[in-house]
Amino acid sequence: MKSLFTIKSGGAASWAMRLAVAAVLAALMLWVPTRGSDSLIEVCTTAFTLMAAALSLNLLLGYAGQISLGHSAFFGIGTYTTAVMVTRWGWSPFHTLPVAFVLAFVVGVLVSLPALRIKGVYLALVTLALGMVFPQFIKWKKLSWLTGGAKGINDTGFKFTKDNPTYEIFGWNPWGNLRGQNVKPFYFWVGAIIVLVVYLICRGVVKSRVGRSLVAIRDNSTAAAVMGVNLPVTKGIVFGLSAAMCALPGSLSAIRTGTVTADTQLLTVAGSITFLVIMVVGGAGSLWGPIIGAAVYQFIIERTGGWTEPDAIPALFRPFFGWSKTAPGGGLFAIALILLMFVAPLGLVGLWRQHSVRLCRVVPKPAGTTTISVMAAAPAAVDETHTA
Amino acid sequence: MELFLQRTVDGLSEGSVYALLALGLVIIYRGTGHLNFAHGEMALFCAYAVYQFGEWGIPIGIAVVMGMGVGFLVGATAEVALVRPVARKSAFAVFIVTIGLFQFLNWLDGAIWGGQQLPNTGVGSKQVSYPSLFPAADDDFVTIFGAEITIKSLGTIGLVLVLSAVLFFVFNRTKLGLAMRAVASNADSAKLVGIRTNTVLMFSWGIAAAIGALGGVVTAGNAQSVSQSLMFSVFIYASAAATLGGFDSPLGAVVGGLAIGVIQNLTAGYVEWVGQEMKVGVSFLVIVAVLLVKPSGLFGTAKVERV
Amino acid sequence: MTLLRTRGLTAGYGPVTVLHGLDLEVAEGEIVVILGANGAGKTTTMRAISGTIPRAGSVEFEGHDVHKSAPDAIVRGGIAQVPQGRGTFPELSVEDNLKVGAFVRRDGGGTIGTDVLRWFEVFPRLAERRSQRAGSLSGGEQQMLAIARALMSRPKLLLCDEPSMGLAPLITQELFQVLERLNKEEGLSVLLVEQNANLAMHMADRVYLLETGRIVASGSAAELSADDSIRKAYLGF
Repeated sequence: MKSLFTIKSGGAASWAMRLAVAAVLAALMLWVPTRGSDSLIEVCTTAFTLMAAALSLNLLLGYAGQISLGHSAFFGIGTYTTAVMVTRWGWSPFHTLPVAFVLAFVVGVLVSLPALRIKGVYLALVTLALGMVFPQFIKWKKLSWLTGGAKGINDTGFKFTKDNPTYEIFGWNPWGNLRGQNVKPFYFWVGAIIVLVVYLICRGVVKSRVGRSLVAIRDNSTAAAVMGVNLPVTKGIVFGLSAAMCALPGSLSAIRTGTVTADTQLLTVAGSITFLVIMVVGGAGSLWGPIIGAAVYQFIIERTGGWTEPDAIPALFRPFFGWSKTAPGGGLFAIALILLMFVAPLGLVGLWRQHSVRLCRVVPKPAGTTTISVMAAAPAAVDETHTA
Repeated sequence: MELFLQRTVDGLSEGSVYALLALGLVIIYRGTGHLNFAHGEMALFCAYAVYQFGEWGIPIGIAVVMGMGVGFLVGATAEVALVRPVARKSAFAVFIVTIGLFQFLNWLDGAIWGGQQLPNTGVGSKQVSYPSLFPAADDDFVTIFGAEITIKSLGTIGLVLVLSAVLFFVFNRTKLGLAMRAVASNADSAKLVGIRTNTVLMFSWGIAAAIGALGGVVTAGNAQSVSQSLMFSVFIYASAAATLGGFDSPLGAVVGGLAIGVIQNLTAGYVEWVGQEMKVGVSFLVIVAVLLVKPSGLFGTAKVERV
Repeated sequence: MTLLRTRGLTAGYGPVTVLHGLDLEVAEGEIVVILGANGAGKTTTMRAISGTIPRAGSVEFEGHDVHKSAPDAIVRGGIAQVPQGRGTFPELSVEDNLKVGAFVRRDGGGTIGTDVLRWFEVFPRLAERRSQRAGSLSGGEQQMLAIARALMSRPKLLLCDEPSMGLAPLITQELFQVLERLNKEEGLSVLLVEQNANLAMHMADRVYLLETGRIVASGSAAELSADDSIRKAYLGF
C-alpha cells in the first residue's frame, strides 16, 4: 500500500508529530475547563470516569484475555468504600481513594483464584453473576447498617468551605478551587488525573515483563506456563490491578455526585456492559482505545439522550429514531458492537491503524528496538474454552 | 412439614422456568458450541410480543403459540445473520455479538413498548395483568398433605415435564433429532452423510429460542407483568442450572433447573439471613463451585483439553 | 463405463493451493488407489471430490457435472466418503451411527433397518456393541463403523481416506478383504487414498501416484510394480 508520507520512528519527524498531538491535547485540556460551558465540563468529567474504567477492563480483557462482565462490582467497591468511610468514619473524601484502590486490589486477587481454572465464556458467566450479585449484596438487609441498604448513602461529597486553600497563578485558575467556586473544573481535573494515573499504570504493566507474560497467557496459557510464566501470580496481579484501577473512578463518582445507591447504572451489570462496549468500540488491546471509545460513547449519549420525542430529533435522523419510545443510545451502541465484529473487530483504533498507513507510514528503527505488537486482540480470550 | 413441601413445590415451580431457559441454552451450546448470552432477552422479547397479542384480543393459548413462533424466527435469524458469519472469526467475536444482541433486544423492548411495567392502564393497556397460562385466582390451589399448592405451580412443573418428553421424543426418535445430535457430535461427518448442517444449526437456535419464549411467558405470567429487567436474573439462574446439569445435557438442564429452584427457595426460606436479595448469590456460588469441582456438571461430558 | 472423472481439479485452503489440476478417472466396478506421501494432497483430493471444500476444475459423476454441488447433493448422487481418522459420531450409539449414514435415503425405516442388520452380519464386532457409544470403540472397530456407515447410503462410489492409519496390519487386511468382496459381489467402486503402498496395491485395479498436488504416474498395479524407477522412488521396494 502506498503511503503519502513515510517517516522514521524515533526520527525528528516522528517527534514533531508527537509534539503536535500533545500540543493539541494540552490546548483542549486547558480550553474546556476555562472556556467551556458547565455542561461540557460535566460531560468531559463523566467521560473521564468511563475512560478510567474502560482502561482498567482493557488491561484484563484486551491484554490478558480474561473476560470480565463484573467490573461494575469493582467500580462499586470504589464508590461504596468512599461513601462508607466518609459518612460512617469521617474520612476526608480524597483520602479514601488509596483505600479503595487497595481494597479492590485484594478483591481482584481473590477473583483471580477461581479464574485460574475457569476460562473463556465460563469466566464471562461467573463475572456476569458477580456483577449481578454486587448490587444485591449492597442491598442485603444484613448489611444495611453499613451500606445503607436500598436507600443508599447521602452526603458523600467533598466539603467545600471558605477556609480551604486555593491555588492560583497570577490570578489564573483553570483548575477550580477547594472553596466551592468553580467546582466543575475541579472535578474535571481530578477526573483527568485519575485517567492519567490509570493510563500510566496500564502502560507500565504492558511494557514490562509482566506485560509480555500477559500476551503469552492470552494466546496460549498452557504454553506460557510451560515456558515458566508464573500463572497464578501474574493473573493475580493483573486481576488485582484491573480491579483496583476500576475502583478509582468509582470513588470519584461517589464524591462528585454526593449520593450513592446500588441502583446507579454503573454499579450494575449494565455498567459492566457499558465498559465492555466502550472498550470494544475504541479498540481492545490498545492503550488509546478505551480513551477514544469513552469520548465517542459519551458524545453520542449526550447528543442523543434527548431524542425521546420525535420533535427533538434532527430531521435527518427522524425516520430512524422517531418511532422509538426511549432514547436511541443503547440501541445504537448495541448495533455498533455487532457491526464492529463484522467490519472492525479491533475497534476505532484498529481501523485507524489499518487506514492511517495510507496517509503516513512510520518505519521502525533497525534491529534491536522493536516492541512487541499486541494487535492480535482478545479473540484468543474465548478460544480457551474450546480447547478445554 | 407442610411448609417444607410447599417450599419444595414452589422451588420446583420456579425451577421449571429456569429449566425451560436452560434447555434452550443447552440446545444451542450442544448444537453450536456457543453460550447465547442473549437468550434471556430473546425470551423477554417474545414475552412482550405475547402481551401485544393479548392487547389485540388474541386468547392466551394461541398467543403463546404465536409467541413461540416469534421466538423461533428471532433465534433462527440471529444464528444465520449474526452468529454464523462471525463464528468463523473467533469465539470472542461470537461472545461480543451475543452481548450486542442482548443490549439490542433489551433496548428494542423499551423502544417499542416503553420503559414501564406492562400491562399498565397509564399507557392504555386493555389487559389488567399479564395473561397467565394457568388458572391463577386466589382460590386456585390444591391441598396435598396439608400444603397449599397453587395450580399455577403444578401447571408449570407439568409443562416442563411434557416439554421434556416431547423433546426426548424428537431428539431420539425422529430424523431431525438424529440430525441435530449428529451435528452436535461431529459437524464435519454430518456433512459427509448428507446432512445440511447449516439448516440444522439454524433450527437448533430457532427451537431453543421458541422454548425460551415459553419460559419468558411463564415468568411474566408469574410476575403478572412484563418489564425490561424481567429476565436479567432468570438468565443467571438458568445459566447456573445449565452449569450444574452440564452444558451439553438436556437432561442436565431440566434436573439442574429444578434443583436450582429448590435450592434457592429452601435457602431463602430456611436460612433466614439469606433473604430474597441474595438468591442471585446462591446461583453465583453454585456456578463457581461446579466450575471448580466438576466443570462438566452432573450429566455433561468432560472434554479433554487439547494443548 | 466411467463413473467418476475429474479434469484439472484444483483446490486448496485459503491462499494455499494444494491440488494443481488433477485428472483422475474411476470406472464402474474398479478399485482405484491414490498413493502419496504426507502432504501430497490426498485428503484434499477426497474433500474436493465430496464437495466439502471449494474447488475449481471439472468433476463429473455418471456424466453429470457436480463440481458446484453441495456435499449433501453429492451424497444423494451416490458418492460416500469415509474420512481420515474415522469421523464417527462419538456420542451416538453404534446403531445410530449406522442409521445416520442412511440420512439421504428416501426409502422407509424398514429397508434401512434391514441394511443395518446386514452390516452387523458383515462386521459382527459392531453387532456386539450396537448400543455402545461409538467413541468408546477401538480404532479398528471405529474404522469398520465408518465404512459401514458410508455404505448405508448405498453409494455407487466409496471414497476412503487412509483407512489403514493407526490400525494393526491384520485389521487393515480384514477391512480391505471386505472392500474387495463388496467390489466383486456387488460392483461397488472404490477410490482409496493411502500412504501404505504394500497393502493397497494388492487390491487395486489401477494406481495413481500423487506428489505435491500433481499426478506423477498412473497405470495398473502390475505396470507400476514392474517399473523399477517408480517402484524404488515411490513404492519403497
